[in-house]
Amino acid sequence: MTRENLAHFWRLYRRNYSAVAGLAILAAIIALAATAHFFFPDDPFKLAGRPMSPPATGGFLLGSDSLGRDVAAGIAHGAKTSLLIGLVATLVAVGFGALMGGLAGYYGGWIDDLLMRTTEMFQTIPSFVFAILLVAIMKPSIESIVIAIAVVSWPAVARLVRGEFLSLRNREFVQACHTLGMSDLRIMLGEILPNCLSPIIVTGSLMVATAILIESGLSFLGLGDPNIMSWGFLIGAGRTVLRSAWWVCTFPGLAILITVLAINLVGEGFNDALNPRLRERR
Amino acid sequence: MQAKEEGGQPARPEARRGEPASDALLKTLTIPGKLTTSAATRDGTKRREVEARLDITRARETRSNRDAGFGRLSLGDIMTMKKLIGGLVFAAVLVTGSFAAQAQKAGGTFVFLVQPEPPSLASYLSTSGPIGLVAPKIYEGLLDYDTDLNPVPALAESFEVSEDGKTVTFKLQKGVTWHDGKPFTSADVQFTVMEVLSKVHPRGPNSFREVTAIETPDEHTAVFKLANPAPYMLRALSAYESPMVPKHLLEGQDPRNADLANNPVGTGPFKFVEWKKGQYVRLDKNENYWKEGLPYLDRVVGRFIPDASTRTAAMENGEVHYGAYGAIPNVDVVRLREMDHIGVTTDGYAMINPVSLIEFDTTRPPFDKPEVRQAISMALDRQFLIDNIWFGYGKPATSALSTNFAATGLYAEGMPNYPAKADVAAAKKILDDAGVAPDADGVRASAVLDLIPYGEDWRRAGEYMKQALGDIGIKVELRYEDVPTWLKRIYADYDFRMNVNYFYQLPDPVLGVHRHYGTDQIRQGTHFVNSSRYSNPKLDSLLAAGATEADATKRGAIYKDIQSILAEDLPVVNLFEMQFLTVYNKKLKDHETSALGAYGSFERAWLDE
Repeated sequence: MTRENLAHFWRLYRRNYSAVAGLAILAAIIALAATAHFFFPDDPFKLAGRPMSPPATGGFLLGSDSLGRDVAAGIAHGAKTSLLIGLVATLVAVGFGALMGGLAGYYGGWIDDLLMRTTEMFQTIPSFVFAILLVAIMKPSIESIVIAIAVVSWPAVARLVRGEFLSLRNREFVQACHTLGMSDLRIMLGEILPNCLSPIIVTGSLMVATAILIESGLSFLGLGDPNIMSWGFLIGAGRTVLRSAWWVCTFPGLAILITVLAINLVGEGFNDALNPRLRERR
Repeated sequence: MQAKEEGGQPARPEARRGEPASDALLKTLTIPGKLTTSAATRDGTKRREVEARLDITRARETRSNRDAGFGRLSLGDIMTMKKLIGGLVFAAVLVTGSFAAQAQKAGGTFVFLVQPEPPSLASYLSTSGPIGLVAPKIYEGLLDYDTDLNPVPALAESFEVSEDGKTVTFKLQKGVTWHDGKPFTSADVQFTVMEVLSKVHPRGPNSFREVTAIETPDEHTAVFKLANPAPYMLRALSAYESPMVPKHLLEGQDPRNADLANNPVGTGPFKFVEWKKGQYVRLDKNENYWKEGLPYLDRVVGRFIPDASTRTAAMENGEVHYGAYGAIPNVDVVRLREMDHIGVTTDGYAMINPVSLIEFDTTRPPFDKPEVRQAISMALDRQFLIDNIWFGYGKPATSALSTNFAATGLYAEGMPNYPAKADVAAAKKILDDAGVAPDADGVRASAVLDLIPYGEDWRRAGEYMKQALGDIGIKVELRYEDVPTWLKRIYADYDFRMNVNYFYQLPDPVLGVHRHYGTDQIRQGTHFVNSSRYSNPKLDSLLAAGATEADATKRGAIYKDIQSILAEDLPVVNLFEMQFLTVYNKKLKDHETSALGAYGSFERAWLDE
């Protein structure tokens, strides 16, 4: 993307004020994650003081949980985990989904049938239940959670990419490439893929939000990685004391809410800016 | 926290060992404790008078001999005589007292929580907690135990221990029938112990290890012939531990596959009616129950509610009357106990005697060094665990034996390496002295800590231990798995380094503690035995001596030596003596009449509605 393109994109993007706000919030959360070690140098699992201290007492900004762990430190360190899981899982899912969808859409025929029936098979299983099953089988760890989220997320991308490839593969510019004798791989990667990047980016950005929610849900159910601090872990650990120590669950819950909202706003902004049909609407 | 499943696999009978106690007191005791009950109806309420008649005869000993002999009582004596006398008198006072104070109301449906749903109702095959909640209301044992652990009559109206301790004669109640109408006889006792409990029960082979034969001279007499005196056996005859099962329904089949597991037929106060999987199990009053006028309740319903907060809500709004073994989480108990209609008690677990602990693989580094295990014991703040995770319910462990054994003189005070509060400096010093030095990152050793998958509390405990052990340079990674995988990992594959667990120590160390430490208890594939694979010939001979020693003082000395060895070697580090909580609706009366608590029969429980 050239400098002019980028400037044009930003001009379109900033027309959507809520998207700009979302971007700002997301930037703040990323900054929080990046500076976690600076503001909270200790291990977030450290038993830092009196258990169940309410917010703004005992040196805890957001209170402490049932073992005396600092909730604020947990949120800061957890931000890293949650964002990282969201990003990595989405990249894996988009990569695999685009490969499957691209092959199916480009070649059609039996390859399309085979790949799409496979995709449908995955789509028929409710995604969260499937994720629980996968993590339970593989034993909870950060890798297995990323794999589980990717496995339940890729079919949507595959269907999307297949649709785009199907509509693009018979366009004149693709036929021209065929006439020039370009290889299939080059046509797919160099010509068709860049032309369907916009919807992939929009879907991908929304998938990051879903991935964070799935990770939190898994941790809440006790299927998170017990050795890594995440927001879902904080909520899961505080759930049992919700009626006596509301702050343990509430603040990480708010963090998830705000982050997911911000990512959705950003995704919406991408959609507005990248979708040619919406581009000139406002 | 859920009720624990113990002993998933039937155990093999043990090799017999130990010497007969040569100096056992000359004794023959006949202690018929007869509960004569008469029920009268007046103004719609039933009154009941209980008369306990005690008759103690002591053959071959003069009165003065007996008085003199009191000072050097053997354990067998204590079990059969002192406690029975005291116990029966006490029980009689207690029973008459409480009956006089309040008139029982008959009828009503008693609803209690069974958590989780039991796999079957075969209490003769498995000691799994949820089975224990339901089955003892259907089956009965030869004896029951009052709240002070003294034996009281159940299916046996009396028993008699011979002078050498090797013959125990049970006189059985007359007129007892199975729920299908067939009479209960000594043949059932013989069959149950010899063919079922000794063969397929998880703890039965240990409880009845000395039984060589059971003679049945008539229908109401069962004579246990023992190879060596086995005083602990008399503590293992409750309905929960050793249920009497009908010979005519099990004979000639493999008890493990019999239909009786799902359609239990017992002699108890309640008859099995139906089991709606996933919802409830229903028992109705046994109209032909041999204890006249009992039970009071018309119906007992055990409900299965998987979600903890739904269980709490059901208790709060009176939908269920009773929940034991942590069915209501401690965090909710703290709230519920403030309510007027809810009662909370820690009683009813003395026979169970649960202790939480860490098992170590003593065959591989880093835990093959006793010093590392000592350091871990020193570095853990037991009081912190109790206060912050179990809401104050519990007692720091101070030895391999629970302080509940103080009553029988077996618990030894002042063992090293068992601080209530953590002593990090001492723990580090032990490691330094043992040459377990930290590397550049301050890590001395690292290991995975497996956690018993019985609920959130254990996870919190694991997270605490990870931090506490990190402080002394032991890097811990936590692992949670589902129950079958975890059991297989610890007890079949031995694929672990350290494991948080809890064991029932039961009313005698032979029953609950020996299985942890004996070389003969390294039984690959059997659950809840010596997974540490600790083997110490000196300890083995002490355990063998402790099992057969009949003299209480000598037995106490043996167990003191045992505890000293174990406090140094620590193949298992005990964490704290657990206090399970029973939460009940105050409408429910007389539910604590037996030492078995929730594992009791509830024959005398009634609802004040």
